[in-house]
Parts: sequence; structure tokens; C-alpha cells
Amino acid sequence: MTFADLVQYVATGLLVGGVYALMSIGLALIFGVMRVVNFAQGDFMMLGMYLTYFFAIGYQVDPLLGALITIPPFFALGLLVHRVLLVRVTGGGDPQREMDAQLILTLGLSLIITNATTMILSPMPRGIRTAYATQAFAAGPILVNQARAYAFLMALLLAAAVYVFLTRTDLGKALRAAADDPEAAGYQGINVRAMHGIAFGVGIGLVAAAGGLLATYHPIEPTVAVNFIVLMFVAVVLGGLGSIPGAFVGGLLIGLVQSLTLLVLPFQLQNVGVFIAFLLVLYLRPQGLFGQRMRSV
Amino acid sequence: MLKVSALSVTYGGLHALDAVSLDVQEGEFITILGPNGAGKTTLLKAISGALPMVAGQIEYRGRDIGRLPSHARAGLGIAHVPEGRRVFPTLTVLENLVMGSYRAAARARRAETLETVFALFPILRERQRQVAGSLSGGEQQMLALGRGLMAQPDLLLLDEPSQGLGPRIVETIFEVIAEIRRSRRITILLVEQRVVEALELCDRGYVLETGQVVLHGDREALLRDERVQHAYLGA
Amino acid sequence: MPTTLSRRASALLPFALLALAGLVLTFAIQERYHHRILTLTLVWATMGLSWNIISGYAGQISFGHQAFFGIGAYVTILLIVHLGLTPWIGMLVGAAAAVLAAVLIGFPTFRLAGIYFALATLAYPLILRIFMDFLGYQEVAIPMIRERAWVYMQFLDPRAYNLLVLAAFLAVFWLSHAIERSRLGYWLRALKENEPAAEAMGVDTFRCKMAAYMLSAAPPAIIGAIYAHAVLFVVTPDAVFGLLVIVQTLVVCLVGGAGSKWGPLLGAAIMVPLSETLDMTLGDRFPGIQGIVYGAALVLVMLFAPEGLYWRFRGLLVGRRSAPAAALQPIASPQPDAAAPRAVATDGTPILEAHGVSKAFLGLRAVEDVSFVVRQGEILGIIGPNGAGKTTLFNVLNGFLLPESGEVRHRGQPITGLRPNRICRRGIGRTFQVVRAFPHLTVLENVMVGAFVRDAAEPDARARASAALARIGLETRADLLPTGLTTLDLRLMELARCMATAPELVLLDEPLAGLGRDGIEVMMALIRRLRAEGVTVAIIEHTMHALVRLADRLVVLDHGRLIAEGPPAQVTRDPAVIEAYLGKRWLRHAEGLRA
Repeated sequence: MTFADLVQYVATGLLVGGVYALMSIGLALIFGVMRVVNFAQGDFMMLGMYLTYFFAIGYQVDPLLGALITIPPFFALGLLVHRVLLVRVTGGGDPQREMDAQLILTLGLSLIITNATTMILSPMPRGIRTAYATQAFAAGPILVNQARAYAFLMALLLAAAVYVFLTRTDLGKALRAAADDPEAAGYQGINVRAMHGIAFGVGIGLVAAAGGLLATYHPIEPTVAVNFIVLMFVAVVLGGLGSIPGAFVGGLLIGLVQSLTLLVLPFQLQNVGVFIAFLLVLYLRPQGLFGQRMRSV
Repeated sequence: MLKVSALSVTYGGLHALDAVSLDVQEGEFITILGPNGAGKTTLLKAISGALPMVAGQIEYRGRDIGRLPSHARAGLGIAHVPEGRRVFPTLTVLENLVMGSYRAAARARRAETLETVFALFPILRERQRQVAGSLSGGEQQMLALGRGLMAQPDLLLLDEPSQGLGPRIVETIFEVIAEIRRSRRITILLVEQRVVEALELCDRGYVLETGQVVLHGDREALLRDERVQHAYLGA
Repeated sequence: MPTTLSRRASALLPFALLALAGLVLTFAIQERYHHRILTLTLVWATMGLSWNIISGYAGQISFGHQAFFGIGAYVTILLIVHLGLTPWIGMLVGAAAAVLAAVLIGFPTFRLAGIYFALATLAYPLILRIFMDFLGYQEVAIPMIRERAWVYMQFLDPRAYNLLVLAAFLAVFWLSHAIERSRLGYWLRALKENEPAAEAMGVDTFRCKMAAYMLSAAPPAIIGAIYAHAVLFVVTPDAVFGLLVIVQTLVVCLVGGAGSKWGPLLGAAIMVPLSETLDMTLGDRFPGIQGIVYGAALVLVMLFAPEGLYWRFRGLLVGRRSAPAAALQPIASPQPDAAAPRAVATDGTPILEAHGVSKAFLGLRAVEDVSFVVRQGEILGIIGPNGAGKTTLFNVLNGFLLPESGEVRHRGQPITGLRPNRICRRGIGRTFQVVRAFPHLTVLENVMVGAFVRDAAEPDARARASAALARIGLETRADLLPTGLTTLDLRLMELARCMATAPELVLLDEPLAGLGRDGIEVMMALIRRLRAEGVTVAIIEHTMHALVRLADRLVVLDHGRLIAEGPPAQVTRDPAVIEAYLGKRWLRHAEGLRA
């Protein structure tokens, strides 16, 4: 194996990792502000893929643009889901019990979404055909699939937008304040429950957009959720539960791990590398890279 | 301005406050004294809405605020500077201050208020881009105070601003509080352990013990009353 | 109290009823697919019961139990295929493999806090699933045996499988019952409710969790093997390691009620026939209907009845024997504990010594160079303004924290760094300010958790607990549930629980906080009486008024340092103490007043 091969693996890993990073930011935001581990995150991503697909098929909207268009409706959906479901199991007394309860509730939600989609839309996988999905950029000996490259760039763009939102706007800062210390946030006049809803909405919107980007090169089917939810968990834990820059880096790293695992293990075992990395992080450094000390539970 | 009637609060299954009543006029400086566990922090939290009442009434400017959540009470002009400072550790000093002026009435005058706060606490201007979690205890206290002031409050609740700080910083903090009082005539409710400093600043005081008011009176009367020491030391 | 004989009978009765019901159903049902539903119901009920051992009783929510299910299925099948070994033995090998897996997984994973544990358990079945796929076992068919098929667990008559699964279910039901009545069961429920408090009561929490995990791993392996033969016929990684396995386990347990042996059966009896019937009738037109039913069940249960239907019904029907709001009449004449072993020696021997103990957190020195002695037979009060380091000190004495320097000695023996449960066994008890009672156990059973440190058998522990309650004066509350008890009653129960561990020294953490004037008097009288019976007492308190009357000696901490020590009258006049509480200026001010 040559150096060029290695660079190829790294490049592919990073490109894929960019989209993972975007998915994971959504999960991290939700956890950071609400302390909810949203098992259904992968399912919302899957729904985002489908919506993007329908825009592509029905209105000839390029999926890269379609991904952006999914954000507002999914933001609204997130607000709704929070208001109807999650509000009842957050903000109570016992944080530990609550986290278990939320994990189970969102697991249930995930099952409903996956199976309802299978029922309504059929389990047959679909794909979006774009001109660039089958073409590649050549950078010397390295080949970079165009769809992945564009998806990567869009993911970076969106992540940057999130960064600007969180650091430059009052609302974004209020979200971070609510994540840091909900009681003190209340004293400043911040409606923490509304912040929860907004965090959830943004988190869902981001993961739906990530789904749209993923749809440029990944088949669309209801079972996609299950494959990615664990990757997202790993990325978020690796970066440090609740840390958004951590989730971004975690996503990139997971893409790399996945890609580089192919150097040593056969294709079917690709995700084993990711799962083992997961266990290692949990055992050796559970607070992750950007170790944000968990609000004591 | 603030009228608390027969307030009872349970906290963690314990009776933290038992039929406490107090009265604060507009512009007054009231201090709340008492040993630990007496319920002083609970009282402030009940007023600002962080803890629910079991019984009693809280009236603010004639309006019953007992049912309002804490962010709504903050919106009405009640600023609570909590015990232990509670600055937002991952936000910068500037972002913390900006959050202080989150409520609509304060947001409009944010730039102006910021200048005032920086004038009071020059160290904050120096460190404005620094992440609040990396500040020293005294600096965090100043930040917490500044954040409270950013809300342009009508009622300021201060919970043990001197806790855990060295003597020189404590002096500075009390000087600033006195300065705020002088220049602004905000109504202030101060909870403190340092009895003399607190009494010197205030107009009137209440002494709590085991969740009840055991003493109250104006400043001079309390300063002369040996029962204050009795409340702390039981002898 | 019921006699042992009638208690034995009442334990066998539900068992017999279940067996009877199972047999009746097996032989009454005609349709083949009804037999299938019965088999599936019992399979998932058994899985639920097993999961309940680690996640219901011990409260460690596992999302990876399907690993054991799959290990059982695959080990059994592969032993048939490669070695021709009968599954009757093969499933025992599978069970052993599952228990081994539980040890390997449990060891590193139980160290993880809360949510991390759940996430870690998620990873293992995923890894196993990928490996099975990779090793070429995507589809392993059970070889059909023609002659003496029963040797290979192959029956034409579906009733045979019904009976087999019924037997497995009854075995695990009995196991759950045995656990509930045993010391392990009480300890598991204690550590679920409040792990630090359990440690302080003598529970070796790590060992208990491992024991529960191992016990919970064997039945799934066995039931997995049976499931493969009765339902699957062809084993695929997804069918035994997949998400649906853990989902069905979770659903039956959560809908029915975790933490009880009846819950999983209740949940399975409702959910399995429902979802199977829906699947059979509507499954063609609506693929995935099962998943929706299960998902909806999880969501609805978490929203409206998170404790599960069993506990909900029990709460309503039995109208719950909660304490009436009547006033407490206990301290009239509680009995001195006849089994109190220690002589009342007031010779001043040091029981506990701290030498130069220092503990810092993130650069903040919480306790700095603190040395003092607790003497036999005294009541020592530890006081100081907020943040003085009192609770940190207790945590060091008690084994929850390791000091940076200094040592703690018990009767001359160093105990620094011993686990809290070991320190409890040595005779040093501790209470906590916030009482976490075990909500589904009666007051007596709550106290038994402490008694089990000294007695391994349930009847002995029960007797010891009764004696402890009588000693505290709480015996009238023995059969009530903790909900609805007053703060005072709860504190008394906590004290009884501590006394049941037969301590010679008790560390009381703010026992008077939140009590009214009357409650404080009751507590104080009780503490004095305990001392008269030979127990040495060290108390942290804020409530000065009470403590100056109660304590023989006071030790004062401020900013982590010991600033005064001596009788209350002396200490409360000590200038250093006055300064610590009211500030330096008050001292001068008060002197000025007196001048």
C-alpha cells in the first residue's frame, strides 16, 4: 500500500466524516441543552432523506439545495415533538431516572417512525441520481467522489452557520446559557423550557439536512436510521457529551476510523472498528476529548 | 414594592421556610441574616421563582407573582444574583453580561448599561473575551453582580456575595454594592453571613432561624441586639 | 407475623397457580398458531424476568441483553452442527458462555456512570452481530432429525414446546422469587435507590451488580436456544442479536412493571398476543405493524405509567398501606436493644482518630490538616459555617473519599482508603441528610437492608430489623410503606437502618435539618438514649441551638481548618468561632457593645 492509498483512505474518511459531524452536532445540541439522549435522531435523518428525495423527484430540486429546504419543516416538527412528548419527561426531579426514561421514550419513537415509514413508503431502497454522484475530482493520484465532496462542503457550511448562530446571536447564547446552568439562565429571563424546544428543533433540522446531504450518495431506505444512530452516539461520546465542537471533531474522527479500519479489517467488519473505539472511549475517557464535565447527576 | 406573606417552602422533603413574612418598600435596602440552613437562600429562590411555594403569597408591585416561572419574574425586573455566583462557565465574560440584559426592557439599553458595568468593574472589561469558567472566584463574583445589573433591575436579590472570597475582594464587593445603592436607588435584598458589613449597608434587616423570622428591625436596633449572635451560635 | 409454614405456602401458591394455568392453556388450545402465541408470550416473559434481575432490581438499565440471548442460540446450534451435541446439553454450555460474557462485559462496564453504562451495553450485541455475519453464519439452519427427534429438542407437537418454555419460565420466576427474598435482593434494591447510601450500609455494590448480571445472563441463553428450536428453525444474526429482541424484552418489562416478578408476565400477556395477532391479520398490508405497536407501547408507558401496570394496579387496589397523617407516638417507651453487644465504657478510649487529614478538589482545599479524636461514649458535634468542609470530612472518615494526606484510624487500625461497605462492617455507621427510602419496601424491609450486613439469612435479618425498630421506637410503622411518612419518621427509619448494622460509632449527617421544634426534641432524646446504650455519636449539624445542648464536645471547622475544640459553653464564646460565623467585625462590634 502506497502513501497515496493512505491519503485516499484519509480523504474518503474525512469527507464522509463531515456529514457524520453535521448529524452529530444535532445530537450534541439536544443533549447539551436538554440532557436528552435522542435515540430517534437517526430516524429524523431518514425522514430528511426521504423529503429531499421527494423534492428531487417531484420538483427537480438538487438534493444539496433540498437538504437546506428540509430545515424549516423539521425545525417545526422538532418543536412539536418536544411540546407533545418530551416536555413530560424533562425538568423533573431525578436526572438519572429521567435519562433512562428519555432514552426509552425516544427508542419507542424511533421504532414508530422506522416502521411507519416502512409501512407507508415501502422498504424498497431508493436513490437520487445526480450528475455528480458518479463523477470524481482528481487531485493528483487521489480520487474524490464529487457527491461526497459537495456534501462535505455543505456540511461544513451548515456547521459554520450553527457556530455563528450559537456565538453571535442572543438566542444562540441563550441556548448555551441554558445548557450551562438552567437555573441561572432562568434568573436572566431565559425561558429554559422554550430553549429546550428550540434546541430540539434545531437538532432535528440539522440531522434532517445531514440526511439530505447523505442522500446524494447513500441509498434511501427506512432501516438507514439504525446504522447511523450508533455512529452518532460514538461521535458525540468521543467528542464529549454536550460539547458541540467536540461532536464535530468526533464526527470527523469516526469517519476516519471507519475508513481506516478498512486497512486492517475486511469490509463487513468496517463498523467493528467504530464500536471498539466506542468502548475504548467509554472505558478509558468517558468524558471524551473536549471533556465537558457533566452537570452532576 | 415586595410583600411576602406567610410563605412556606419545602425543599427536598424538608420544611425550609415556615410562614415567613416580610415587607420591602421601593428603594429600601434590606438584609437577611441567619445561620446556615436557616432558609435565607430558599427565601430568595422562592421570591425569584426558582423554588415553588407550598403556602403563602408573594406580591410584587401589587401583583401576585406566586405562579409565575422564574424567567417571567426576571422579565418584570427582578434580578437574582445567586449563591455561588453561577456564571455561565463556557460563555465569555462579555456573553455572560449580554445574557444579563436578555429581557426586553434591558436589551434596548444594552450598550449603555455595559459601559456602566465596565466602569464599576474595570477588570471585566479587561477580561471580556475570556471564558467565564477560567476567572478567579472574586472576578466571577464581580461578573455575577455585573450580569445582574445588566438587567436594569428594579429589585436586586444578592445571595451571599462574599462567600468563599478573600478579605480584600470582599471589601471591594461591598464597596461596589454601596456605590450601586448610592447611584441608583435600586431596591436591594441582601443575604449575607458577614453580619456587620451587611447591617452597615442596609436600612432594615430580618434574622431567620430554622425557617422562621426570629428578629427584625431597623439597622441601629439590630446592631445593638445581642440576640443576633444568639441566633447564629445558639448561646 | 405469619408463621414460616404459612409463608412457605403463600410462596408456593402463585407458583402452583401459574403452573396450573400454563398446563391448562397448553392442553386447551387447539390452533397451532395459538400455541405459537403461547410459546412466544412465555419466551418474552422469561426474557423480561431475566432483564429484570439486572435492570429492574438493580436499576442498571441494559440495552445489550440480547447478546446473551444470541450467544445461547448460536452456541447451541453450532454445537449441534459441528459436534452433533444434543441441545439439552448444548444450551447449558451456551448458558455458561453467556455467564462468562457477563463477567467480561460487566467488569469494565459497571464502573461507568448511568447513561454511559446503557450506551456501552448497546455496543456488544452489535459487535457480535457483525462477527456472526462475517464468520459466515448468516443463516444457520437447524438440521432436521428424523429418529428420536426429542433428543435434539425437535417436537412435532407444539404442546411440547409450550411445556418446555413454561418450565423455563417457572424456573426463572422461582429464581426471581428467591432473589427477592434473599440478601442479594434487598441489597440490589438498595443500591438501585441510592448507591452511596447502600455502600455506607455495608453493601458491596460492585459484587452485587456482578452477581445480578451473571444471574441475569444464564436464562436468556437457555431461552434463546429454545426459541431457535421452537420458532426460528433458521438462526440469523439479526433474529437473535437484533434490536427487536431487546425491544420486546423492554416492552414486556416496562409495560408490565420492572422490579417485580409479576410485571414481565403481565406485560407479555398483554403485548405479545396483541402484536402477534395484529401482525398475523394486518401484517401483509401493513408491514412493520409490530414495530409500531411496540414503539407506541414504549412511548405511552414512559409518558403515562413509567412504573408499569403492575405497580400502578397494586397502588390502586391495595389502596396502599401508607402512613395516616396521625401524629407520631413513638418515643414513649422504646425498648433497649437486648442484643446490644457493647458495654457502656466511658473510659474515653479513642474510637476514631483523624490525623492530619487533607482533601482538595480542583485546587480548592476542602479539608486542611484536620486532626481530632472521637472518644468512646461521647456525643461529638462537628460544626462550622457553610462550606467549612464538614461533609467532606465525613466522606473521608466514611471511605467515600481518599484524602491527599493524613490517615484515619479505627481503634488504632488504619482504615484510610477502605471502601465504605468495609468500614460499615467494622462498626462505623453513617446516615445521610437526604433520606432515600426504598419506595416499594415496607419500613421493616427498609431496615432489613442494614440488618443483612450482620445476618445472611432472611428470618434473622428480619428479627434484627424488628429489634432495631423497637429500639428507635418506630415499631408501629413497621408494615407501612415509606410514602407518606413524615420527615421525622423517615429520619428515624434511616437511624434504625443504621442501628441494624450494629455499629459502635455512628456518623450522623445533619439529622435535625428540616425538623420542627418537636421533631428536634424527639431526635435529641433518641440520640442521648443511644449513647446511654453504648453507641458513640459524631454529628454534623447547622442547628446550633440543639447541638449546644446535645453535644459533649464540639469541633469547629472553618474553610477546612479546625479552629476550635471543646465543650459547647467554651466554644461558643471562642473569638475564633464567633469570627467564623459572624465575621471579624462583629467580634469587635460585640465587644464594643459590652463596653
